[in-house]
Amino acid sequence: MTKFIVRRIFWTIPVILLVILLTFGLMRQIKGNPFRTSERAIPEQIQRNLERKFGLNEPWYIQYWRYVKGVATFDLGPSLVLRNRDVNDIVRAHFPRSLELGGLAFLFALALGIPLGAVSALKANTPLDYGAMFFSNVGYAIPSFLVATLLIYFVVLEWQLPFPTSGWNDWESKVLPVIALGLGPAAAFARLVRGTMLETLQQDYIRTAKAKGLRWRRVIALHVLRNSLIPVVTAAGPTLGFLITGSFVIEQIFAIPGIGRYYVTAVTARDYSVVMGLTVLLSVIVIVANMIVDILYGILDPRTRDARA
Amino acid sequence: MVADPAQTKGKHVGATGVDIDSGDGVAAAAGGPVRQSNLWKDAWRRYIRNRAAVTAGVIFLLVLLFVVVWPIVSPYDPNAAPNYELKNEGPSLRHPFGTDNFGRDLMTRTAVGGRVSIGIGFAATLAILLVGVAYGAVSGFVGGKLDNAMMRLLDTLYGLPYLPFAIIVLAIFGTVNIWTMVIALSIASWFTSARIVRGQVITLKENDYVRAARAVGARWFRVLGRHLLPNTLGVLIIAIFLELPGVILGEAFLSFIGLGISPPNASWGQMAQEGRAVYRVAPHIIAVPSIAIATLILCANFIADGLRDALDPRTRET
Amino acid sequence: MALLEVSDLKTHFFTREGVVRAVDGISFSVERGRTLGIVGESGCGKSVTALSIMGLIPKPPAKIVGGSVLFEGRELTTLPEKELEDLRGREIAMIFQDPMTSLNPTLKIGTQITETIRRHYDVSTQDARKKAIELLEEVRIPRAVDRLDDYPHRFSGGMRQRVMIAIALSCDPKLLIADEPTTALDVTVQASVLDLLDDLRREHDMAMIIITHDMGVVAEAADDILVMYAGQVVEQAPVLELFDHPEHPYTEALLGALPQIEGEGIRQGRLTAIPGRPPDLINPPPACRFAPRCPYASANDACAEHMPELREIRSGHFVRSAHPASERAGARRPTGVGA
Repeated sequence: MTKFIVRRIFWTIPVILLVILLTFGLMRQIKGNPFRTSERAIPEQIQRNLERKFGLNEPWYIQYWRYVKGVATFDLGPSLVLRNRDVNDIVRAHFPRSLELGGLAFLFALALGIPLGAVSALKANTPLDYGAMFFSNVGYAIPSFLVATLLIYFVVLEWQLPFPTSGWNDWESKVLPVIALGLGPAAAFARLVRGTMLETLQQDYIRTAKAKGLRWRRVIALHVLRNSLIPVVTAAGPTLGFLITGSFVIEQIFAIPGIGRYYVTAVTARDYSVVMGLTVLLSVIVIVANMIVDILYGILDPRTRDARA
Repeated sequence: MVADPAQTKGKHVGATGVDIDSGDGVAAAAGGPVRQSNLWKDAWRRYIRNRAAVTAGVIFLLVLLFVVVWPIVSPYDPNAAPNYELKNEGPSLRHPFGTDNFGRDLMTRTAVGGRVSIGIGFAATLAILLVGVAYGAVSGFVGGKLDNAMMRLLDTLYGLPYLPFAIIVLAIFGTVNIWTMVIALSIASWFTSARIVRGQVITLKENDYVRAARAVGARWFRVLGRHLLPNTLGVLIIAIFLELPGVILGEAFLSFIGLGISPPNASWGQMAQEGRAVYRVAPHIIAVPSIAIATLILCANFIADGLRDALDPRTRET
Repeated sequence: MALLEVSDLKTHFFTREGVVRAVDGISFSVERGRTLGIVGESGCGKSVTALSIMGLIPKPPAKIVGGSVLFEGRELTTLPEKELEDLRGREIAMIFQDPMTSLNPTLKIGTQITETIRRHYDVSTQDARKKAIELLEEVRIPRAVDRLDDYPHRFSGGMRQRVMIAIALSCDPKLLIADEPTTALDVTVQASVLDLLDDLRREHDMAMIIITHDMGVVAEAADDILVMYAGQVVEQAPVLELFDHPEHPYTEALLGALPQIEGEGIRQGRLTAIPGRPPDLINPPPACRFAPRCPYASANDACAEHMPELREIRSGHFVRSAHPASERAGARRPTGVGA
């Protein structure tokens, strides 16, 4: 069991290295130069000095190696555009907000989606089920910016409830963005849970459990849910990654100073190190999330532990 | 050998165990001969009986019809010069969807934008499937070390977050137009379909009839083309309708944050972005393209569900 | 009073295409310590009968529409679900056909045994585990102590079925229903499982119902046999009597389909196959349901119009046919019992 976990963790390292390499390679393809695109034309000499300072004129593999060393020591380098700031500063200032937004939206999605799906499955083909699934299907399809706009329109403008629509400080300001971001995944989870539960309920071992006289509540809690949640765990990983990285749109709408907004600005300004740093950061998060999911999967389904030899 | 009803978990089954809901079941139950049915005909019949899927299919086709035909017959120019007298009007008889903040007819712009969004959607989906099928088929079929390596590579690519990846690819291209969008979006999202195809190929490879074909000495591409791919066709068709929403949403998001299709060209995401600034006074400007996106995604989901049920009856619930 | 008395049980499935009369008026009884074998081809309603007794039929499409099931004098068909739950596993236990899918793959088998014990008795986990080990030893699983913490996928098919038996026996039930217990197993394993069941039955003084389509199995294991066809009982007799003097044409055909390796009066030549298919149970004809396939029935017979009654043709031997073997022209009357 521990061997399995250790192996899994170990394998993420080359993956991360490869991702950095890929991102690095991609970034190098972007034409344009942070110094040349600025509006005030900088004299050639100074430009070359700057390039030398930031190491931009060295061969790519040296730059890559230096970068990897930097990542290992959590030094993501200086921003190329904002002269006095490090990428780390930017990350520290903005990232926690995006993380919080994504994390809260994830919890919201689980808290709403799983019970909804479970109840739908247990009361399949009743009006409750139809209603819940209608809501889920719609919620899943509506793009989050529409959800956000509708939320703002109804909650704030029509019903005049005191939820702020910009900024990220007290808990009230977090409600609308979290719901807007989390509703889609909640609907996705509900559909998924309903599907897997219905399938599990048909299994022979559920019939055996009933034949043993086990109380129905226990059958659901232990036998049904446990086996149904396995695919949900598999879906949860990418969802978490998606939430943290895909909060760009929500951050724009609700004027949340997270890294999403920063990312867009940085790309336009060709601020390589910021873009690199943020991309690598996001990648690492996604990879770690996937790894956690894999481990959880191994814990929940003992068959995979042996198969992964 | 017909199955015992208690063993066939909860299907609509008679004591003779054959699926009563399929026409053959009734025939068999009555002691009559069982007609050899075509897989596709059976699937079509099952699909037709799913009301939600049929409705979704109809709406989907209507939307397609709308975006293709309307710009041709519309009296309005979607990229007309701004006419500020008409701006931000709500829906009316002359402008069924209203006008945008430049005074242009929203209905026409929606149709034109739809062409772009749906066009990107289909093109990218096609690209995704082509790449995914190629990658997955090779990996699954060849197996062994190559498969291992290819899957590890895929695991790595999974680690690149979707939107940032697409943004970077677009930045590499420099300009943003329909083609670059298609390429960017498809590069960022072909991984899942590769995995699915690989899974299918591996399952089918172990199938007895494939073994039989190989035992007779059939060449590998014949086996691939004749046996494996046609059976994955069903999965692929479903995959189209599963990938489409993701791509359309991706384009919408990118355009919404300003990194996608830029004005004056229209796409649904771009129109939504324009509408965002004025949503308090003219909510219809952001509502219309958003609802259009939502409708298309909803339809695609129902169609995919319907296809899945039609092509694999075992997944149906009681 | 018999341990289990089933009278005129009717279980119907309400489907989109119509009402399937899967079990249409079955009656039998099981005494303490005896084994009843229910045989019939797939789809004749034997499994549905078993599930109906336990109340395990899928409630939305299926429903017990008539008859009664008396267990130790208690009517089971009207019992509230809570009380049925108390009964299941404790008084009546059931094992199923496919041991591969009948055990929860994500739980250790120890857990699956102890949860049954702790559901019905108020014991500590320790004691439940001890009991579980005893049970595994009883069903002859080697190294029981270690195996307790293994997952189902680590066991072979035969061993899994033994685990199922252990679970079923854990609370000392009075009646064990075995639904096709050996069908999914290799022939060699079948024999050992049947032996095990027989030994356990005697040790625990349990009654048993064995459901199978395999006449060979039932000859080994049962005291009395019930032959079912198309949702009805067509013949019922003690095992030796049935095998020596079958009455119903269907039973004869079933026995004729058995390959024989040795013995007196061994049949030479081809095995008999029964042509045709069982009738549609949505609208079964009012006539004898076996008539279309019966080699002795003709279109003018009474049985082509009216259902024959289940009658006692000899002491303890019941048959539902207009053409039982001992009444056919030129039939040799069986000597001995009854007559």
